[in-house]
Formats: sequence, C-alpha cells, structure tokens
Amino acid sequence: MKRRLIALVLAAAMVFSLAACAGGGKGGKTKIDMWCIATETDSNRKAYEKAIAEVTAAHPEIEFNWEAIENQSYKTKIKAAVAADEMPDIFFTWSCAFLGDFVNANRVYCLDEEYKNWAKDLDPKMLNNTTFNGKHYGVPTTMNIVVMFANMDILKKVGYTEVPGTYEELIKCCDKLLAAGYTPFGCSGKEDWCVTEYVEPIIEKTAGAKAWSDIMTGAASWDNKDVAKAIDIFQEMISKKYFDPNGAALTNNEVKANFQQGKYAFYMNGSWNCADFFADSAFFPKVKVSEFPVIDSSKSKLGQLIGGPSDTLAVAQSSKNADKAAAFAFELGKAICHYGYLDGCGLPAWTPDYDTSSVNALTATVADIVAKSDAMVLFGDTIQAADIANIYLSYVAKVYGKQIDGNGFISGLKKDIK
Amino acid sequence: MDKMKEKNKTAEVSLSADAISEKIKRRNKIYKGVSVFLFLTPALILFCGVLIFPIGASIYYSFFDWNGFGTKTFVGFANYVELFTSQIIPFPLALKNSLLLAVLSVFIQLPLSLALALALGRGIKGERFFLSVFFAPVLISTVIIGQLWLKIYNPDYGLLNSFLRQLGLEEKIMALTGDIKDVLWLGNSKIALGAAFVPILWQYVGYHMLLLYAGVKGVPVELREAAMLDGASYGQVNRYIVIPHIKPIIKISVIFAVTGSLKSFDLIWVLTNGGPLHATEVPSTLMINMLFLHNRYGMGSTIAVLLIALCFLFAVLISAAFRKED
Repeated sequence: MKRRLIALVLAAAMVFSLAACAGGGKGGKTKIDMWCIATETDSNRKAYEKAIAEVTAAHPEIEFNWEAIENQSYKTKIKAAVAADEMPDIFFTWSCAFLGDFVNANRVYCLDEEYKNWAKDLDPKMLNNTTFNGKHYGVPTTMNIVVMFANMDILKKVGYTEVPGTYEELIKCCDKLLAAGYTPFGCSGKEDWCVTEYVEPIIEKTAGAKAWSDIMTGAASWDNKDVAKAIDIFQEMISKKYFDPNGAALTNNEVKANFQQGKYAFYMNGSWNCADFFADSAFFPKVKVSEFPVIDSSKSKLGQLIGGPSDTLAVAQSSKNADKAAAFAFELGKAICHYGYLDGCGLPAWTPDYDTSSVNALTATVADIVAKSDAMVLFGDTIQAADIANIYLSYVAKVYGKQIDGNGFISGLKKDIK
Repeated sequence: MDKMKEKNKTAEVSLSADAISEKIKRRNKIYKGVSVFLFLTPALILFCGVLIFPIGASIYYSFFDWNGFGTKTFVGFANYVELFTSQIIPFPLALKNSLLLAVLSVFIQLPLSLALALALGRGIKGERFFLSVFFAPVLISTVIIGQLWLKIYNPDYGLLNSFLRQLGLEEKIMALTGDIKDVLWLGNSKIALGAAFVPILWQYVGYHMLLLYAGVKGVPVELREAAMLDGASYGQVNRYIVIPHIKPIIKISVIFAVTGSLKSFDLIWVLTNGGPLHATEVPSTLMINMLFLHNRYGMGSTIAVLLIALCFLFAVLISAAFRKED
C-alpha cells in the first residue's frame, strides 16, 4: 500500500512537471526564449546584457531565457531550426534575403499590429529591409556602414595629419607608406565577407550607388564596365603591395588585431568596430574614421555608402506567446539600439530619446557621415538571396586571390547568377 | 490378439509422445523466434531511425530543388547532373581531394601506424608510455587540434615559419610557393591542401596503430619463436608471420582509413573552411556549404547520397580485394 502511494505521488509529480514544461514558465510567468549572436567576444555583447537586464526588470511577468551562438554557427543553427519549425520565440536575423527566406516559408510572425505601438520611435524607413509584401517582419536594432579606419600615428610618420580625402591622395599616401616600410591595408582572405568590405565601396565609388544598387537587387545586369574597372583598381592595389600578403591566411580577428598593433595604416570594415577600438584605450587616440574616397566623380560622390539597418530581431510564427514576444522584441530592440549606440557598436536605427553626448568620437564621426549620406546600398551578402550571395562571395574570393580580373568577375557573375 | 492390441497401444502412445514432442519443439521455436524478435526490435528501430530512414530521406530530397523550409520542386536527377557539370559547385575537385587523402592515408598513415604497432608489439621498454603518447591525439578534440595547427601554420608567428626562418629555409620555400612575405601554409591554394592533410594524417596514426597493435599482440609467441629458431630475422618474422596473421585487422584499418578520408570534415572545417578558393574543399564541407550557406537542401542531400554510396562502394571493393588476395 505504502509503495503504491509513493508510486502514485511520484507519477503525479512527473505529470505536473511535464505539464509545467509544456505550459508557460515558472510560477505562471510567460516563457520567452531568444537566440542571438552576441557571444562573449561580440562587440554587441555588453549592449545586449544591459538591454536584457533593463527590459526583464521591467517585465517580471516574463521568464526570459537567451542563448548567444557564434555568428557562422548561428547561420546553420537558425536555418536548421526554421526547417524543423522549432525556432525560439525571438531570434536574431539579418534583414533582406536572409529573413525573406524565412518569411516566404511562413515561419515569421507579422509585426504590423505591434509596430503601431512603437511607430513614433521607429522611422518606417528603417523597416524597409524587413518589409515583405507590404508587411513588417523585423525589429531593427542597430545599423552599420563600411568605413575606413586609419592609424594616425602611422600616417603622421609619412606626413599626413588627416585621412586622405581624395582617391589620388590615398594612392600617394599608400606609396609613401610602402616606401617607409609600412603596409597600407590589411584584409582577411579567410573570410570572404571581409573582402567585400573593400570591393563594394570601391565599386560604389567607381560605378555609383544607383548602378550598384540596381545590380544587387537584380534590376540591372552584372555586365557593367564600371564594376569591371573597379575590380581592376582593387587588384592594382593588391599588385602594388598595398595589402598585407599574409592577410590571405588570416581571419578577420587576426587582421583587426594587427591593425590595432600598428601593423597596417588602414583597415576597412564595419562601423561596429568603433566599440572595440574605443575599448582599447591605448589605441583609441590614434584612430580616425572616414569613408572611402570617390574614384569616379562623374558617377559617384561622397555620401554614397555601403550598409544600412541589417541586425534584426524577429518573432517565430510558431511561438505560443507570439503577441507578447512581439511586444518584448520591440522593447528589447529599442534598448539594444540605445546601449549599442552609446557603446559605439552601431548607429541608432531607433530615434534617440536619451542623452547621446557620451557617444565616443569615432561613432559620432560615423553618425555624422551617415547624416550627410546621399545613398546607402546594403551589404552584398545580406541583400542577395543565400545561393546568389554565396556565388557572389566566391567570385569576390577569386578576385582577392587574383584568379580572375574585372572582366572575368562581371562575365562570370552574369553567367552564373540568373 | 492381446499382444496385437498391446502393440497398437504402444504405437499409439509413442505416436502421441512424438506429436507432443513435435508440438513442444514447434512452440519452443515460436518462443525463440518471438524472443529474438523482441530483443532485436529496439535495436532495429534505432538502426532504422538513425541510419536507414535518414538515408532514405536524403535520397528523396536529392530529387528536389528545395531551400529547406519553402516549397519543394521535383527536379529528378538534375541535382546529380549539376553536381558533375556545374562551374560553381566544385564537387569533382572535392572528390579528387578526398580520394587523394584516402591514398595518402593508405600509403603513408597506415604504413606508419603498422611500423609503430610492430615496434611496440615487440615489447620494447616503455611500451605503455609510447602507446599512450601515440594514441593521445585521437583523444584530443579535433577543434583543439585544429587550433593547435592554426598556431603552427600562422604566417606571422607560427612555429613552422619561425623554425624555417631560423634555418634560413623560408625564402627558398617562398620562391617555390610564390608567397611574398611569409609562407602561407593555409592561405596559398598551391600548398593549402597538403598543409591541411598533415594534421589529419597525424591525428589518426595513433588510432590505426592501436588497432594493429592489438592484432600484433594476438600473434602466438610460439609462431614467432619457431620462425626465429629457423633463423628468420626480425624483419622476416614480421613479413612472413605477423603481417599475414593480422591481415583481417589491416583490412579493417584500410576500410576505416578510406571511408574516413571520404567523410573527412572537422579538421578541414577548422583549418580552412574548404578554402582558399576551394583548394581544400572535400565533399562534406561542400555539403555543409550547400545546406546551410546556399540554402540548397536538395543539392546538399545529393552530396550526402553520393558520399554514402562512395563509402559503401569502397568498403565492398576493399573487402573484395582482400578476399581475392586470400
């Protein structure tokens, strides 16, 4: 009898615990899970931690769990989760095609209703990259652009007190740097996206933002002589040894570390790096930021940039608490934007309603560049669909490895991207 | 008459005893069958669930153009044709690379493992210690080994380049590889494949050595001693007694080495991600690229199916080759 009673109690306990798992969180709370890429080494980590602490404190009725996964692994994990329809309630995503594939598969919750509550703080223009068939599916956090960082300590040694403002000056500066024994640029060849941080601004400043945007969105053919010319310019820079030849075997983190250690004069990459440079107190006073100069002024001008709002939070269609998750995602996105901007790891996609005087000088300069911008074309590997983006990246890698020239680049992409 | 009746009775009794014994035998047979079925069913379900069903699903998906979460379009054998004709998907190169790794495994890794197994199996001093040392790389996580070799190959501060610089050999090697500043072991498409293969071969030498060592230890001592008494040298004992004796284990090692090479993924992924310019691409890295970067689940499944077929084919061919030799 006693044994039977114990067995009954244990069985009841198991049933209740299972029921608790199936339902919401502990103590009647609503359970919301999130996946993102803000790992310990990610520039955005602190912003995520502060934002999560703030938003969860304001919502004791929500049991919030989050997991950060390394960028490259995350792409695999989230796609597998989408395929199995086992996504967390809120998930980080890149805008445009990356999110678009999930939306087309009907896996993402529409945020139109919830957006109405946040419209005064979030300009609808910021939602362009997450809008599909007129419906909003993402909460932008920060926006970033490609910028050219310069180590002014090195530039001063060859007679420059400012970052060269024209292409001719930049070339002269690179020649002087080489003559003085310095390597002008560092670029990781192990991560193809790093090469696009050079290739895309050079193409944009040669062919113009409109032409480049049309190619990226599929509105125009790859058969563009200006794109071929830009690729030849980039390869000429490689031939002249403006780039560290060891870069081909280095990761982006290694190249960035080399730049911070004074091995290169320039480093072109995303504006999110401002946060890491700001955190390096010994290096920060040496570094300045600018946009890549214009190569063909008849087609391009300063203010034509590569970048835009891409980092996004989305809500799973399968979420049991989708409406609550949507409200939470907006509040969290706004807070991440707030702290991310103050930390310097991105520009605000949301209109700042707080004191921004503490923003570091580098990020403030980037904000100024964006404020004066004329046009922005989103990163090539984000704007294009996954398969096309990866074909494009493989051609960019061939360009950096000098396997093909400008004509080979445009003719190959014209043939392979349909 | 009575005798006749008694005889018939005895016959009837013996007939019914036979029938009962037959019945018992039949029942035992059924029980045996049922119990075999019951004991094997969980393993069978597990085997089908984790192996047969996924293979079947991969074959099914290989006939579709599918991004993994949208609608599927039936394309027949188009994925298979594209795999061998496409200019974008370097499958023939990936296959060539993994076959080259298989050749290197069989002709460099296994002889080295055999040599170590024979040396240790002889009962040398510190046998246990050396066994542990050579087996240690198998126990270490592949990611850690990858990170270790990334440091060895680093062009700026890597051990290898520093060592070559000390010997004054780096510039001579650079002249051969075409590198400008330092030797880019993993960044130069001419040498990256070889550089990536070295850690793979190194890591699994200990694994094959252990397999072969167990075989060597299993060779009867009397056989060796008899051969020695007949005047056979150490080399001759190994050649004519030990190696023929451990042939079944050598066969297993060859199968493991070849199929392992065809399936190789982890170290290549950590070291080069299949680059530079697809120089170190192997079918598994290509499969992951297709599945998760290109969003081409159909094509990824096609590569998976071909990989399974190749591993199966090579296992059968190797077994047949050994059988023929026997």
